[in-house]
Amino acid sequence: MVLHILNRSPSMSRVFQQALDAMGTDDRLLLIEDGVQGALPQLIPYLEPVLGRLFVLKEDLVSRALEGHCDARAIVVDVDGFVSLTEEADKTVSWF
Amino acid sequence: MQYALLVQGSPYSYQASHSALRFAQAVVRRGHSLTAVFFYHDGVYNAARLAAPPQDEPHLYDAWAQLHREHDTELLVCIAAALRRGLMDERESSRHGKAGHSLEPPFILTGLGQLIEASTAYDRLISFSP
Repeated sequence: MVLHILNRSPSMSRVFQQALDAMGTDDRLLLIEDGVQGALPQLIPYLEPVLGRLFVLKEDLVSRALEGHCDARAIVVDVDGFVSLTEEADKTVSWF
Repeated sequence: MQYALLVQGSPYSYQASHSALRFAQAVVRRGHSLTAVFFYHDGVYNAARLAAPPQDEPHLYDAWAQLHREHDTELLVCIAAALRRGLMDERESSRHGKAGHSLEPPFILTGLGQLIEASTAYDRLISFSP
């Protein structure tokens, strides 16, 4: 399993599409920095193919006052959860 | 596990350096070894020894140095990216006929070979980019 890390919002960049195209069926996607906007109800349809394996970084939600505004299908993890995801993955790919 | 990080974002312009530092602190807190942080592209500005951010803002340079002090993390700076941005240690400064130097230990100038090694020798390499 590969952990894909995305730091761009789907509203600002199409790089999320490249990430989705590259993802295997077991791969996971973690949204960080401005990428956390992708977990908002208005934008999560872009990431529908990876629901159930879509994670979002809590600290970056909090710093943008977005905590509590995410779609419930996005799994919120803190930075320790981020490290844990990298432990479970064979490798990581950062998209930016 | 042995971790290495790649930092490519300019400090105080992008979040990449702050994201990397927060991740680095979590890595060691969870009992892993953070073997090396490799600074590349504008990420090399993290190593500017004269950085003096306002006192109420995070001091990235000091935080990286603290990681080195407490966890023996190597702080590796791409020499090609650094020299063209005016970041050089005493040896390179002398070699280029410059007055003064802008980089010093624990930050170390090194080549891309070290990054390749980080990508193969360690268990995880995580990239933080602008």
